[in-house]
Amino acid sequence: MPIELKNVYHTYMPRTAFERCALKNISLTLRKGETVAVIGPTGSGKSTLMQHLNGLLAPDKGCVMVAGTDLAAKGDAAKKVRNSVGMVFQYPEQQIFSETIYDDIAFGPKNRGLTPEETDACVREAMAFVGLDFDAFSKRDPFRLSGGQVRRVAIAGIIAMDPDYLVLDEPSAGLDPASKEAILKEIMELREKKGIAIILVTHSMEEAARYAGRMLVISGGELLFDGEPAAIFREHKKELLEIGLDEPQVFKLSGILKSSGMDIPEGILSAMDLVKEIKKAKGWK
Amino acid sequence: MIYLENLKHVYKDAEGDDITALDEIDLHIKKGEFVAIIGANGSGKSTLARHLNALLLPDGGKCTVAGLDTADEKNLWEIRQHVGMVFQNPDNQIVASIVEEDVAFGPENLGIEAGEIRRRVDKALAAVDMADYAKHAPHLLSGGQKQRVAIAGVLAIAPECIVLDEPTAMLDPKGRREIIKTVKKLKEDYGMTIVYITHNMTEAMEADRVIVMDKGKISFSGTVREVFSRVTDLEKLGLEAPLAAKIALELRKAGAGLKKDIITDEELAEALCR
Repeated sequence: MPIELKNVYHTYMPRTAFERCALKNISLTLRKGETVAVIGPTGSGKSTLMQHLNGLLAPDKGCVMVAGTDLAAKGDAAKKVRNSVGMVFQYPEQQIFSETIYDDIAFGPKNRGLTPEETDACVREAMAFVGLDFDAFSKRDPFRLSGGQVRRVAIAGIIAMDPDYLVLDEPSAGLDPASKEAILKEIMELREKKGIAIILVTHSMEEAARYAGRMLVISGGELLFDGEPAAIFREHKKELLEIGLDEPQVFKLSGILKSSGMDIPEGILSAMDLVKEIKKAKGWK
Repeated sequence: MIYLENLKHVYKDAEGDDITALDEIDLHIKKGEFVAIIGANGSGKSTLARHLNALLLPDGGKCTVAGLDTADEKNLWEIRQHVGMVFQNPDNQIVASIVEEDVAFGPENLGIEAGEIRRRVDKALAAVDMADYAKHAPHLLSGGQKQRVAIAGVLAIAPECIVLDEPTAMLDPKGRREIIKTVKKLKEDYGMTIVYITHNMTEAMEADRVIVMDKGKISFSGTVREVFSRVTDLEKLGLEAPLAAKIALELRKAGAGLKKDIITDEELAEALCR
């Protein structure tokens, strides 16, 4: 039951002096179980695109189908598929509103019409997924947590809705390196355990290279590239720099080593792989 | 320019218990210096920054800016003309609907005469390379451009020191490059003192001195080379060393005879490929 975008166009403030075409003819298919990184400069249309995935915005032309149902349609079927796409916006801590962590996470399941027992089970499961101990945290005030913890609460609130697709808009922005890594690891584990798709909007080329199996590059409202991150970073470095993006650090370093004469392969994605390749090139064990 | 002596800051949590956010901070920031402050979330970086222009006041010890004690209320306005602040989210810092009006907001509030405001606004926009956008609407600019307008707004107050609290956290790679270029220019061409808080180690590598914070205290500090070659210490604090330093450490562990203070890609290439 994929998400299919067919020739999607979106224009903000049409027929006014401020008219701006934010998405141009986007066609793509997102499948369950995929990890997709979405990169692009500010204002490229990434967020507009994401808001089309669960019907927060509707295309002016084209359509978005989830599991074969048009998101723009009225009725229960469309409502149900919209709920299968969970969205975690940038700075999700700003979306938290309850006095206890339990109430905040339970809000979604309650509104789905679950019984108190079912809701309880949902909250427990969601908290376990994001690594928050139920007994230690459920009664605590979410506004008194650290940046990484409060973001986990927000993500748990979406997970409790049991989505098939989880869209995260820069889930690691503003976190320190250790918290960034911890939160992304949890998201990836979630994908493995639940088999859901992860769609990750990011400004970090490292995150895209490291965690995603597929990468979408958006610029000026158009889908510029769609493919494997390593291949895109390798083959389209020039275009990425031109639109204001970058290449991952490990690519940069590999490039400098190669041009200094070291015999290492292209497309190394992680620091540890680069260490291995350097050892191999130097004949070290 | 700025002296912190045995500075302490205490917050009250919801239960009314004291949480020490800063403790025993001794720090001297010299005029014209570019200081980067790094540290995990909750280590006290932003609390420290807010003491530098008296947004927060010490609960112990002393903070002096250009010879003025921040604890003395009558110094407040003067201190804020010495030290300007730029925050993470550019959208929260823009007040006007035209770029040049936004930049003029600060000097207008200081009661500065119109001709002088004009000169300051033009100069500030030129300093951040945004002169061509003087008549534009801020909300239609890119993140990097908005953040540069916010910096211009601070420059128009003509401070000697600018404190930037994670100014690039919300920006794309190009926006990040624009901000770091602007900040370097302010130091080099205008002799400004820069205090730059960041989670991005590549940006911190542009500083003259790096301060590493942990649990409200200064854990260690030094030149970029001194700080960023301490890969293991940084990782213990939840921070990240530059990639070249990390790789050099792994290679040394495997017995490679590499220098201990390699931090840049070029140095690593030089050491390995010579």
